[in-house]
Amino acid sequence: MLWRRLPYLLPWHRRAAERDMQEELRALAEMAPPGELGNLTLAAEDARAEWGWTRLEQAAQDLRYAGRALRKSPAFTAAAIVSLAIGIGANSALFTLINTLLWKRLPVRDPEHLFVLATEGARKDYGFTYQQYERFQQHAPVLDYAAYSRVRLNASIDGALEPTLDGQLVTGGYFPLLGLRPALGRLLGPDDDRVPMGHPVAVLAHDYWMRRFGGDPAVVGRTISLSGTPFTIVGVAPAEFFGIDVGSAPQLFAPVMMQPAVMPTTVNLLDRPDVYSTWLRIAGRLRPGVSRAQAAARFEALATVPETDWRPVNKFTLRPDDVGLALESAATGLSDLRRQFSRPLFVLLGVAGLVLLIACANVANLLLARSTARRQEFAVRLALGASRSRLMRQVLVEGLVLAGLAGAAGVALAFWATRALVAAASSGGGAVVLDLSPDVRVLAFTGAVSLLAGLAFGSVPAFRASRTDVSGGARADLAHNRLPAGRRGPGSLLVVCQVAVSLVLLVGAGVFARSLRNLIPTDTDASSTRVLIVRVEPRGSGDRHQPGTAERFDRMYRQLLQDVERIPGVESATLARTSPLAPDSFSFPIALPGVEGGRLVPALIVYPRYFSTMGIRLVRGRDFTAEDMRQPGAVPTVLVNEAFVREFLRGRDPLVPGHGVMQARAERADGKIPRFRFGPGPALNIVGVVHDSRFPALREAAPPTVFQTFLQANTGFAHMVLLVRTAGATGEVARRVRELVQAVDPIVPMFDVHSLADEVNLALVRERLVAALSGVFAGVALVLVCVGLYGVLAFSVACRTREIGLRLALGATPSDVRWMVARHALGIVVTGLALGIPAALVSGRLLTRQLADLVYQLTPGDPLTTAGAALVLLSIAAAAGLLPALRAAHTDPVVALRVE
Amino acid sequence: MEALYGVLDMLILRTLLFGPLHGYGIAAAIRDSSDEALRIEFGSLYPALKRLELKGWISAKWETSERNRRVKVYRLTPEGRRRLREESSQWSSFVRAVGSIMKPKPGEAGS
Repeated sequence: MLWRRLPYLLPWHRRAAERDMQEELRALAEMAPPGELGNLTLAAEDARAEWGWTRLEQAAQDLRYAGRALRKSPAFTAAAIVSLAIGIGANSALFTLINTLLWKRLPVRDPEHLFVLATEGARKDYGFTYQQYERFQQHAPVLDYAAYSRVRLNASIDGALEPTLDGQLVTGGYFPLLGLRPALGRLLGPDDDRVPMGHPVAVLAHDYWMRRFGGDPAVVGRTISLSGTPFTIVGVAPAEFFGIDVGSAPQLFAPVMMQPAVMPTTVNLLDRPDVYSTWLRIAGRLRPGVSRAQAAARFEALATVPETDWRPVNKFTLRPDDVGLALESAATGLSDLRRQFSRPLFVLLGVAGLVLLIACANVANLLLARSTARRQEFAVRLALGASRSRLMRQVLVEGLVLAGLAGAAGVALAFWATRALVAAASSGGGAVVLDLSPDVRVLAFTGAVSLLAGLAFGSVPAFRASRTDVSGGARADLAHNRLPAGRRGPGSLLVVCQVAVSLVLLVGAGVFARSLRNLIPTDTDASSTRVLIVRVEPRGSGDRHQPGTAERFDRMYRQLLQDVERIPGVESATLARTSPLAPDSFSFPIALPGVEGGRLVPALIVYPRYFSTMGIRLVRGRDFTAEDMRQPGAVPTVLVNEAFVREFLRGRDPLVPGHGVMQARAERADGKIPRFRFGPGPALNIVGVVHDSRFPALREAAPPTVFQTFLQANTGFAHMVLLVRTAGATGEVARRVRELVQAVDPIVPMFDVHSLADEVNLALVRERLVAALSGVFAGVALVLVCVGLYGVLAFSVACRTREIGLRLALGATPSDVRWMVARHALGIVVTGLALGIPAALVSGRLLTRQLADLVYQLTPGDPLTTAGAALVLLSIAAAAGLLPALRAAHTDPVVALRVE
Repeated sequence: MEALYGVLDMLILRTLLFGPLHGYGIAAAIRDSSDEALRIEFGSLYPALKRLELKGWISAKWETSERNRRVKVYRLTPEGRRRLREESSQWSSFVRAVGSIMKPKPGEAGS
């Protein structure tokens, strides 16, 4: 049946059939008595329907007709498409990001059965030591394991130093576990994982191969030098593979066995069980016949046997930490971004949905106005025999065509917007690399959103069109776009809703923006672009307990500071253990008189001029001097902050000896289980007190902090962060600083030189992103509302020209008329606000629950923000109403009445 | 109702069993052979012809009539013949079923 019908899809076949049918009917009509055959046109029409493509034909006709109608009013079409495209594009962009972060499967074999291990203690951690990895392999053969570690690599090719590479050390099982095929050469396998330091081979990531080597296949066999050790390139990884960690993109893979060579700053982590460094992440697949529950049970059993216990030993209790092991699905990869951004992204998707809703209302309004203007056309078509459903369908099709075009534009917009967003999110910090190519899910979502939008704004005017009065077609008033009774119509209602929704958006955006402003430190000029930061991590800094090491580093650092301060344009330079916004794990034990045990206080190791460089005010006493720096002696010389004084000194003068605060000494307590406890030690020599700064955690009050010198601190690491305050432009200074730092140890990977402002921005990247996006959305919503309101007012004035003319003729003043239009505008906005303020309060409460950490020092329905938003909307109403009001007031009564 | 739906189709097939006919001829033949009891509107008959042609139960061909006119003539295809056999057996069982229901019951005779 179908195959006989198919030819009728072809226009020429249909034309031939049509001719044939007409000829047959003519012949029959000639032979039958007149009138015998009835309505032949109808018979032909019904026969044509038997060809079975009437629907399709009508749809094509509707489409053609819609296209023609839209082309005829390009301004309307452009306005509708642009506002819809922004709404659809915003939704599509956010959905793309959510999809990439949350749902996209890793491009590896059978991602559903790939797992990663995590420890679950106070917080979830994915890091393990090499010894733990070996222990799992040996004692828990329930999985096939692989381990990997992100490393920064100092690379040189043909003797020339490359920019620092983002690399990955992987075990021999890594690529086989993922089931990847090389794009070129071979990948790393178990044979590259046998002897420490015995496998100087590397695999390039596809992207790096393309960019650095132009996709040259001769790269296999070439040598790349990593931290001074030559490696042979043996292959290239597949193009779509960016590692298990979503958001990062390793450029090079090397065997874990080469760790001592490529990580010269740390100790050999492969055979130092005494160093607890969780540098590896462990992935695995269940062995055949093993269930997930069985594997979990095996891990649990491991921790109960001392020989197989993999848990770290707490250095104070000397007992294994109470942590569990979790098997977590890695089908979508592992991502810190996911944890950080998924909730804000969903909230922003909701916001984008509201913007789209506003855009839909606008387009519906435009379509309504058009359909009113086209009443006559519809009436004529009805009179000529078009069915009401056909008219309705045509208006709906027009809407869908608009939505389709806007959807296509939206996809393009989203393509650009996602990249811009990711670039903004990774500015100032490590690059974020995400595979943002739109997949089926994104396209389906965008399609569905466009379709829904089309139906949403198309249905109102379609319903309107179906109620067109046939007899009214001839009536003169329709020719002049006069609205029937109830002249406010659905248009005003739509604008009321728009006002309400945009108030919600405005309040949200205002709360986010003000939270962000509260979070940016202003007390010190700490967010300055004039403070440069770079990490210094020379070889051997991973283990400063070697005799003489600390002194060697101290000499090196003081020399570095001298050299840096000699650069023209540098005001001061100093070193600190961590960068200002990095939470420091290092702590200082203190003992207080009359208090049992001790307290661990956050500590920061600093060189002189730290406080002046950072812009932290010295409240009392003095800064460290060169003299203090040289004393590793018994009396701890420290500075403290005001929080420390408040918490521990209880009114005693911190600068006078006898304040009672002591450094705590660990003592071995008696008993079967060896335990350390703190006992009193030497009194602290506090030489100065500084103002509480906003660092390291911007949203928390400064904790009591001790500032210590390098030689007095008892820590295993010797790496530091160089802080440089410059007088003006930082570009040239940054280059010189870079050179000096690289010269300290040319073999180690260089870290980025960035400014303190960059760090603040990076720490607030979520807040900035949410504030910026919600601000943009609110702005778009305002423009749309303004346009919508203007449209409704202008249209209503145009429809009431005669009435206004009559009023003017009967003695109304122009200001009466202006007031009439203003009242209409005010009525809409005030009704909108009345609906919007409660909605904003409710949504604010919901928002605060969802994004508690994004709202800072503000209550959900912050009255100031709400009032401000309402004011903004009122002024928007004034702006939108101005032109129609003036036009109404300038109506010439004579002309207006002559229209009849 | 299933049986009634295809009645027109069945009548056309049945009419063509006696030989090929043109569109008007089929309408006239149905009317004549039912003693004018069944007057099929040409407006319904003609689309039905197209439908049967698309189903492949009848075929159409331009021919010259005895009065030297070019007309389109429909004839039964083997498949149409087979269909007709099925339809008529279904029809007679339908008629029997309806007839046994409509037969006047003893109690209500004469009403």
